[in-house]
Amino acid sequence: MKFHSRSVLILVLLVLLLVFLFLLNIRLGSVRITFSEMLDHLTGSHLLTDEQLIILKKIRFPRLVTAMLAGAALPVCGLQMQTLFRNPLAGPYVLGISSGASFGAAVVVLSAGASGMVASWGLALSSWMGAGLVMILLLFVSMRIKDVMTILILGIMFSSGLNAIISIMQYFSDASALKSFVIWSMGSLGNVTGSQLLMISVAVIPVLAGTLFYPKMLNGLVLGEEYALSMGIRIKRSRIIIFATTSILAGTVTAFCGPIGFIGIAVPHITRYLLNRADHRILLPATMIIGMVIMVISDIVSRLPGTDRILPINAVTSLIGIPVVIWLVILNRKSQAF
Amino acid sequence: MEPANTDPIVNLEEMTIGYVPESVLLEGINLSVMPGELVALVGRNGTGKSTLLRSIMGLLPVMEGECRLFGASVRTYDLRRRARMVSYVSSQVPAMPSITVRELVSLGRMPHTGWTGRQNREDRDMVRKAVRELSIEHFLDRKVDQLSDGECHRAMIARAFSQDTPLMVLDEPTAFLDIPNKYELIRILSRLRDGGKSIIFSTHDLETAWLWADKFWVIHRGEIREGAPEDLGMRGVFDDLFADSGITFDRSERRFVPYFAPRGTVRLTGKGGAVMNWTRTALDRLGFKTDQDTGDPAIRITSQGEGYCWQVIRHQTEKTFDSIYSLARFLIQVE
Repeated sequence: MKFHSRSVLILVLLVLLLVFLFLLNIRLGSVRITFSEMLDHLTGSHLLTDEQLIILKKIRFPRLVTAMLAGAALPVCGLQMQTLFRNPLAGPYVLGISSGASFGAAVVVLSAGASGMVASWGLALSSWMGAGLVMILLLFVSMRIKDVMTILILGIMFSSGLNAIISIMQYFSDASALKSFVIWSMGSLGNVTGSQLLMISVAVIPVLAGTLFYPKMLNGLVLGEEYALSMGIRIKRSRIIIFATTSILAGTVTAFCGPIGFIGIAVPHITRYLLNRADHRILLPATMIIGMVIMVISDIVSRLPGTDRILPINAVTSLIGIPVVIWLVILNRKSQAF
Repeated sequence: MEPANTDPIVNLEEMTIGYVPESVLLEGINLSVMPGELVALVGRNGTGKSTLLRSIMGLLPVMEGECRLFGASVRTYDLRRRARMVSYVSSQVPAMPSITVRELVSLGRMPHTGWTGRQNREDRDMVRKAVRELSIEHFLDRKVDQLSDGECHRAMIARAFSQDTPLMVLDEPTAFLDIPNKYELIRILSRLRDGGKSIIFSTHDLETAWLWADKFWVIHRGEIREGAPEDLGMRGVFDDLFADSGITFDRSERRFVPYFAPRGTVRLTGKGGAVMNWTRTALDRLGFKTDQDTGDPAIRITSQGEGYCWQVIRHQTEKTFDSIYSLARFLIQVE
């Protein structure tokens, strides 16, 4: 599996696109802050006003970095799940991670009934604990169960069970709490504060970097666990690594941003199509970059430039992503990703 | 002769196999494979062929007894070391993501590369050699899901070959292949054997395997016997292998023939040579014995222009047919 210069070229172009989108995103907003003003501020020749600084530091930068972290993390989870389960429909949430996070959020929002809690630490931590609980359950199960497909089915069952409990909680909660919860479940990048962003970064960045160290293991799993075993891959250990990283990445992002659908499943497919490769040494970094690009675009769209309204991010990722995937799958026969 | 060549590569001693202790498939297995041997494992569906192969590989735990690979118990092997000793192709073609044949064959180098999976010159040479040995050069850049069954089997075996192991274990490599591909595949296996590999493969194509295998392992009635196919044939091991399904082993022709319900004897006369032989084959298939002097109805083959015609005389009435097919239809209907 050699690196092709074509793949490298595509990656370089995508990184350039990402840089462009980063700059575009940070400039965008109702308060006008131009690049030259930012540059002048950095060189010290002309300082920005306090209001401009607060907007940049407390609002635009955290949400942009959050978007990039979520955009890198969720597709990596999806890629790992698709490879491990050898199923093109697998995504970061098949194991019930988002249901665990939602359950944690529901406990705080629906039982506390306070809409002011939405942006708080309590919500994020409770949600994080929900995801962590599912992860512990999964790791426990994966140590005991031989067949990986059984684990997939159990994951879906966990997920459905938790969703059922959440429905019951919603049914018995009052209208304002219900609305807060529904809004949380639509996903948002804007509620993350600076200290929360630090928390997300600490959880997500080392794990993302870590995934770059085991492409060989994922490549070995492409033919299924039996072949992986015959080629010297430790099956149980790789399952634990994959479940643990997926839980941390998807759980953290969901805890702080709410469930963000679609990109976790779609980005790995888009990546395979663009690069036309199955080697995880290139798929892993490429998936992160493409995920970041799509997430930053989604964030720009969700802020409806020119207006002061914001769309739920979950809806935007789906609305701009679905046509892309339909185009890949239906109009382009080359994209037989699986 | 080097002493290494006299030690078996695989040695099974009183081995018991199965998935759970409550359902043992085979017990008391004593078998061996010598270096450079091509071993064909045969037996009916569900008799434990795949289980045996997977147990030898160490993919399933050996329940009792011992499975020794290269003198050491398979239990004691470190996974990576084992992966350099034995390679495996399962009977099911896995559903694969869009991976090219080249990428697939490269996967075989996994036990030899470092943690990054980066391949050095030696790895790339071995991949090229695997491609050459299995003659898959012309579809290297195709996606695996676009291959025919024959191409797919060859690509999967090339992956195992590039793993560069002295022993290869192949589960039904000839399944779903047409007749030329079956012969071609077994011939390739025999060529790999001649190149020094030991190969164990399971198959349902006894007649093909017979042409090239050094040794057969035959599972029948809960027992497994080994020996040259001729040894086993002489001992009558094949005679009742498929007995309950109406197939018998014809020792003189060295092939399996179905049992045809007898329908009587017909008198067959006329033009000899190929046309007579083909007609007799058809009558055999329908369960008719043939005789030159007696029998009913009487069939006479004559030339007619470029072709032939078959006259059938039955109860003083005569009918003429212009093909074996129409003759056969008539004979079945009058029965």
